[in-house]
Amino acid sequence: MSKRSLVLALSITTKARHILGTVSRALAALFICAGLGGQTLTAGTSPRPIEGFEAPFVFGRFAIPADNPLTQEAFELGRRLFYDPILSGDNSMSCASCHEQERAFTDGRALAIGRDGEELEFNSMSLANLLWGPQLFFWDGRSPSLEHQVLEPLLNPFEMNQPLDALVAELSADPVYPAMFEAAYGRLDEHSISRALATFLRLLISSDSKYDRYLLGDAVLTDQEELGRKLFMAHPDVKTSLRGGNCIDCHSQFVTAGFSDGFDGFSNNGLDPDADLKPGLAATTNYGPDFGKFKVPSLRNIAVTGPYMHDGRFDTLEDVMAHYNHGIVRSKTLSPLILEADNLVADPTAALGLRLEQHEIDAIIAFLHTLTDQTFLDDPAFSNPFEGEPR
Amino acid sequence: MTKYLWMAAISLPVALSFSVVPSAAQNSSVREESQGMVLLRGLPTLETSHSVAIVELDPESENFGAILSEVDQPDMAEPFHHLYYSPNGRLYTTGLDPECSLAEIGLARDASGAPTVTGFDCLDTGGQMVGEDIMWTMSNGTEYMFVTFMGGLGGDDGGSVGVFDTQTNEVVKIIEARKSQVGDGEPYIMYPHGISAFEDRMVVSSTIHPDLATGVGNSVTIIDLNTLEPIQTITVEAEKPIGFPSSPVEVLFARPSIHPDIEPAVLVNTMFGFETWSIPYDASSKSFGEAEVIYSGAANGTAVPLEFYGTEDELFISHALPGVVKRYDISKLPELVSSGPDIVADIGAHHMIFFSSASGRELIAIQNNLLNLGNAADNDPTDVDFIAGVNAHTITVHDLATGERLGTIDFKGTYNKGVENVEALFGSGFVHHH
Repeated sequence: MSKRSLVLALSITTKARHILGTVSRALAALFICAGLGGQTLTAGTSPRPIEGFEAPFVFGRFAIPADNPLTQEAFELGRRLFYDPILSGDNSMSCASCHEQERAFTDGRALAIGRDGEELEFNSMSLANLLWGPQLFFWDGRSPSLEHQVLEPLLNPFEMNQPLDALVAELSADPVYPAMFEAAYGRLDEHSISRALATFLRLLISSDSKYDRYLLGDAVLTDQEELGRKLFMAHPDVKTSLRGGNCIDCHSQFVTAGFSDGFDGFSNNGLDPDADLKPGLAATTNYGPDFGKFKVPSLRNIAVTGPYMHDGRFDTLEDVMAHYNHGIVRSKTLSPLILEADNLVADPTAALGLRLEQHEIDAIIAFLHTLTDQTFLDDPAFSNPFEGEPR
Repeated sequence: MTKYLWMAAISLPVALSFSVVPSAAQNSSVREESQGMVLLRGLPTLETSHSVAIVELDPESENFGAILSEVDQPDMAEPFHHLYYSPNGRLYTTGLDPECSLAEIGLARDASGAPTVTGFDCLDTGGQMVGEDIMWTMSNGTEYMFVTFMGGLGGDDGGSVGVFDTQTNEVVKIIEARKSQVGDGEPYIMYPHGISAFEDRMVVSSTIHPDLATGVGNSVTIIDLNTLEPIQTITVEAEKPIGFPSSPVEVLFARPSIHPDIEPAVLVNTMFGFETWSIPYDASSKSFGEAEVIYSGAANGTAVPLEFYGTEDELFISHALPGVVKRYDISKLPELVSSGPDIVADIGAHHMIFFSSASGRELIAIQNNLLNLGNAADNDPTDVDFIAGVNAHTITVHDLATGERLGTIDFKGTYNKGVENVEALFGSGFVHHH
């Protein structure tokens, strides 16, 4: 990371600047203000802390922005905004259009669909456990905070196409929102919109899967799941006859997301040759060795979040495992941890896959199913608040 | 304009307003590598209760020495003793109180992300008392939690090794072999304390009866992990510098998984013999060779050697008197080849952890209290009897490379408590006793 510029210097076309200049300046001004700590709760506003909040210790430390503490009012406001099509320019799409709770807040499509019905660039990412893992958001890490991230789909002309000033005006005219914003932040403005949405996303915590209960001693894995867990946690070592699925090298032990240090949570996992690599993280860092790296996603609820990969190229977990087992494609930025992961040959330059046996593949998939958290998928606190409410 | 270019374009404002680094790095207050779990002993004469706490140990932090979270144990006569993380991240502690000789400690995170101690559950030990050390290892393909209970099921020659289910915490087996009940020359288990294992062999030490008066051990016992039965007892006793039996305390099965150059051997510290012993092990024949002294405290001006801890490169052994930690080249084990000058801590030098400061300096924190067990009839085992002479009630923090002392936390002076044990918030690393 020391060789990288921490300040982004992205190359965009003059045309793009011209078209997007106004919106970009507005977003820049918004976040410069936030970055300077200029926005805090208005005096007299006293929102309530989240009652009974408790997150798993083993998930690790997380950070909450000083100007956006987790509060009940912000969560309820963010939840309502998340499900409200008022956030789109033509009031046709909400965040939930691409992030459905029963799919762990994904959409079941290979590529997300924009407002005109056309496919977008990337697969819709799960929104579970965003407090942990890489704190750069989107597949290419282009957002440095959730407050920033939540506004991008709103402003994107191919997605929700909603100017923020128009959204503020709409929300101000709504019979419900002004009081909710007042209670949460003491004001209704662009920054409060982003903060409320970010709070809702932060509280989408999935921690009641069978694996979580196993970690607490409250559940026992089947023999197949336990074999899968052991393979998941092991990097193969032919010399010591240690067989491994190599998963933990990128997906951490407890959160099962990418690592949060620096850019460690981004990887080229051998999908394409150099000629076909997409920029990925390099589009954000403008750093050549990041070319082809994408965010390592959380595996929480992975059984319900297909299709898989940044472009949704694999329909099933079996397809994913087939890729890792014998379909690794060499490229200049291929993860060295994948390059050397082979259960048959101890040659760090020769591995083209894990070469696990079928029962081991099946075991890893069985373990991945223990990451499904039905409590999370059904939690009414995360559901559409408009259901049953007259609109 | 392609959709991809749009995404790049909308990122431009970020460049103007943020340095793009992960948010955990944006806020130094979220750093917790330097936070330690500590077990604090209430001091009756100072009217404080035992507790479990999280303490900031980075001398560079403005919170250095501050208790960040704490749960009291007001109803327990004796404190918890020794913290261990399971491979699945569950936190356990042994306990000196017969009512709670083994417990699981609850940890969680509050709405700011900070770790908090939520409480503890005393576990059913099947009557085994005075828990000491814990380790997780395999027996016949199944992983178990093994706990040494220095008091065992009671009696003058008690002591047991409890075998627990790693998921349910239920007792699977109590390994017990009383010296008074086995035949002459047969292996026995008495006052077990230290524990370590390699392949299918486990070793436990025989230290001292919990009342410090009834009996003192001078041996280690080998347990066959295939049968969970003791198979050999080996005496480790030579000099008696204070006239007591040697009282082996911590043991470490030096093995290739610690460093590939290591020839397997059992290392043993003898609390009252002031020595470190080595017992060679032939893995092919599964036989132990003749025990020999490889370090003499009497000859080197140290006493009461206690713990083994390791980093990738070095083995550290604490000596309660005069309060130093000696360091050795770990690749040379079982020989003790010095890797640097002693780290001068305080009297009672005992447990330790390794971590880094906010600026990246590599540190070692040393807990300086021998205490553990005293005579309750004397009112205050930590302040009244001879044990008080080897209790500094401090944690000292040192530069790992030079040994320079960078800070001292005086728990008695600041909190009216002693400090029983320290463990890193996320565990101490790969050797850690075992």
